[in-house]
Amino acid sequence: MQISIEELDGGITRAVLEGRLDIEGAAAVDLKMNVLAGSKMLLLIDLHKVTFLGSMGLRSLVVPAQTIHRRGGKAVLFAPTGMVEEVLTASKIDSIVPIHHELSAALAALK
Amino acid sequence: MPGKCAHKADTRLTLTSRLAELSRVWPWVDALAAEYGLSGETHYAINLCLEEALSNIIRHGYSGQPDHAITIDFTSLGTSLTFTIEDQAPHFTPMEPADSRPAASIEEYQPGGLGVPLMRRFAGTLHWEPLPHGNRLTIGFAAARSSEK
Repeated sequence: MQISIEELDGGITRAVLEGRLDIEGAAAVDLKMNVLAGSKMLLLIDLHKVTFLGSMGLRSLVVPAQTIHRRGGKAVLFAPTGMVEEVLTASKIDSIVPIHHELSAALAALK
Repeated sequence: MPGKCAHKADTRLTLTSRLAELSRVWPWVDALAAEYGLSGETHYAINLCLEEALSNIIRHGYSGQPDHAITIDFTSLGTSLTFTIEDQAPHFTPMEPADSRPAASIEEYQPGGLGVPLMRRFAGTLHWEPLPHGNRLTIGFAAARSSEK
């Protein structure tokens, strides 16, 4: 699992996750995600390159989103595909962290 | 070694109780998916359920103690695929209802507790039984083939 960070206009940070967000993948990105959670206010978590998501990976997404929320910021999940999105909806994560498939909508949600 | 299954497995994978061992499961499942022509959804569901079950056994059943055996037997019968996981951990009943009520808001979210609900959602069948010295978890899938998508 790899993570790359891009700063967008409007103070929005885009974190692009790539690969499997399984136990091993979660461990690989947790530190960077937690650093982002502690330092950024507007976070777009880009999942379009995530090929697998399990319950440990869910934690790696929601805990940073929760931290940002508690700091007064916002986080959204962007473009999960297929079964990855099905895991998010089956676990009801989509009801506590918004999912957007259009970039414009995701960016608007962070304003 | 964990207790004998009543069935004869098509193939068996034996792991030790370390989370790093889970990296051996993926290529094994990939090979099965290729051999049986499984759909992407079934392939994903198998990987998901095995990861959840095995990580629970390692982290909770064996309390993180390494060097204990876990076996996964795979059998196929017609369109049914079955994974039977056996361990020698203290009896661990993953099927007990837990407080798996989803968080109503991001403020309420508490990490954990999603593994078993995900297994219930993505497995066709899920059955736990105690062994004299350990546990047996049987996970069944209907074999949707990639040509049936």
